[in-house]
Amino acid sequence: MKALSKMKKGAKGKVIKIEGDGRFISRITSVGLALDNEVLVVNNDGRQPVLVYSRDTLIAVNQKEGAKLYVKEVSA
Amino acid sequence: MSTMSVALLSQPNAGKSTLFNGLTGSRQHVGNWPGKTVEKKEGTFTYKDKIYNVMDLPGSYSLSASSDEEIITIDYITGNDSDLVCILADASQLERSLYMLSDFCGINKPALLVLNMMDVANNKGIQVDEKELSQSLGIPVVSMSATNLKHYKGFYEAVESAMENPKALKSDKLDKILTEELGEEYSQLVELVDQLNISSYHANWIATKLIENDRVALDIVKEKAADKGLEIMSMVRKLGDKKLKVGSSKFKWIDSIVKSAVTREETAGDYVLSKLDRVATSRIWGRPFAILVILGGLLLSFVPAMPFMAIGMGLPASVGPVLLDFFNNIGAPMWLNSLISEAVLSGVGYTFAMIGFVLGVSFVFGLLEEVGLMARVSYVFDESMSKLGLQGKSVMPIMVSFGCNMAGTSGSRVIDTWGQKTLTIAIVFAIPCGAVWGIVGLFTGAIFSSSTVFVMLALLLTITFHIWLTGKLFKRGLVTDESHAGMIMELPPYHKPKWLNLIKFTFNRMKTVFFKALKVVIFVCVIIWAVTYTASGNIENTALYRFGNFIEPVTLFFGLKWELFVAWIFSGFGKEATLGVISALFGVTNNGLFLTQATGVTAGATLITALTSTVTKPEALAFLFAYMFMIPCFMTVVSAQQEIHSWKWTSRIVGYYLASSLVYAFIAFRIGLLIW
Repeated sequence: MKALSKMKKGAKGKVIKIEGDGRFISRITSVGLALDNEVLVVNNDGRQPVLVYSRDTLIAVNQKEGAKLYVKEVSA
Repeated sequence: MSTMSVALLSQPNAGKSTLFNGLTGSRQHVGNWPGKTVEKKEGTFTYKDKIYNVMDLPGSYSLSASSDEEIITIDYITGNDSDLVCILADASQLERSLYMLSDFCGINKPALLVLNMMDVANNKGIQVDEKELSQSLGIPVVSMSATNLKHYKGFYEAVESAMENPKALKSDKLDKILTEELGEEYSQLVELVDQLNISSYHANWIATKLIENDRVALDIVKEKAADKGLEIMSMVRKLGDKKLKVGSSKFKWIDSIVKSAVTREETAGDYVLSKLDRVATSRIWGRPFAILVILGGLLLSFVPAMPFMAIGMGLPASVGPVLLDFFNNIGAPMWLNSLISEAVLSGVGYTFAMIGFVLGVSFVFGLLEEVGLMARVSYVFDESMSKLGLQGKSVMPIMVSFGCNMAGTSGSRVIDTWGQKTLTIAIVFAIPCGAVWGIVGLFTGAIFSSSTVFVMLALLLTITFHIWLTGKLFKRGLVTDESHAGMIMELPPYHKPKWLNLIKFTFNRMKTVFFKALKVVIFVCVIIWAVTYTASGNIENTALYRFGNFIEPVTLFFGLKWELFVAWIFSGFGKEATLGVISALFGVTNNGLFLTQATGVTAGATLITALTSTVTKPEALAFLFAYMFMIPCFMTVVSAQQEIHSWKWTSRIVGYYLASSLVYAFIAFRIGLLIW
């Protein structure tokens, strides 16, 4: 299990845990980053928002918010 | 003719505004929801002798009642105001875009699913079986591309038949998944809620919203449950925190629906960023690229603006003499001749020239928004702009304003929340436009000679301070902390622009601004004409002169002689005219009529001599500060009102700038007295 913000470019996985209040969960879910969803990290330089590809959508998530999403990595 | 009501609902970036504009054209009205800082867009279209009212519901990602936008949306669709809810989804990103539909599932309201951007989806190798989809959802489905006007017939037909045969979204499949995922306690909760017999919602909808701790659901239970309320709430507590499970269940439902109705070609390999996106989102190149895009956009804006500017600017010189001769020949009185050939003609010419900017900026920045570049600009500037309570896109109107504030204000249209848009406009007013720098440079150079650098530096520092202060002061009523709590944003795929549509929308918009502005500008020009008209050409015979002398004891308090005070007022009508106004007021150019002088070419050297001999350095400093922080120009105010739709907020901004410019003048004057 790894925080999304710590994942390297090209890493894939499944969201298994999301921390944060109801508002955050509702917001992150509605863009498609819900529990059990598959994600692909398209870019992450550790400072700029993480770029994630999930459900045909390119999503930018701030580093701080990305630290609240935990992903079980799978090998590509 | 009978009237029906249609509501448009979707997540951002699904093309809802394009559809709304396509349906209603110029038959739309934009205002604010009562008591809320949320934009309300309504319009109408006619099909087969029926008038359809269209409500463009505020953009929101879900129906979770955590923002004003979402609360308005839920209240509206569950109320009695609409006959049909059209839920839009982006067909090229169905697996995510259908989330709004899944959140709607359980609301007993006739609905129609609109699969927009079908052309993009087809190009990606995605095919949707509408019939199959419609069968599994229980509601009609129509595919279209809202940018293609040929597709609207299909949409009209779908709306007509959905109204004749209204159907609510089937929720049994989602219920089944939720029960499987959340277990026995969930079923018990649903049973309890079901006993409340609430007609507008399915029990599952309320149950899941209770788990999500949603305000709307809690209110319903409070209102309807009476003795059952405690039992229901204790069951919710027993279930524990299952928000995440509710979310993933909704996506399971989406997946099951998509699986049966959508086929797609297998794509080779994983998604990689395009070359353009690698630059646009890069830590090093992202910002320079975004700035380049905005500056390029600004330059491009001048292309469509040029002809209008040329015609507008040339109008007084070309048509003026013709009119003058004509009125002379028919023996019209001198004052009438002056009123028409000067006041009205100047107003028409000025409005025409300025409208070119609105056209150019609306077109170019609308284009950048449509192709998806604006989202990238937003991405790279989001963090720094959020410190002012703004979003990344706000950087565009602010930068454009260094050229022209009115263009910047019009450009703020791309900002999708009303509060942030209004806050951006409040800040945009503080940006000195191109005309200001020219005049400030000339003025400072002439009067302060060796201390010019320090005066300029003081002005720059004050502008920076003022932007910060404005952000701080206006943020309170406009932007809630939640709305900028961390960036989670979609970067939509790049789209090819639909030129014809864009041109049509831009012209429609320009038409409205033009006539609104024209009325105001002519009115203002006539007033100016009335207070400055004198048959002899001597300024001392005008009402303005008498007014100025009368009010001077007050204006001197701010360090402004009456001439400079009047010039300050006039600078609020148009900053570029200020040198001309000052010349006319100090009697430097003493022939002809005031309005022509004020807008005409000025005698630079003579003006400077006149100024240095009559105005002291502290007074000049006071004027510079008053001038710098005065509202940018009249047209900017008109276009601000056009974007804000609230006289309350527009006048707040205007009042704030009038007051602060005088305060800065006062301070500058006192400091000036200490120095010189």
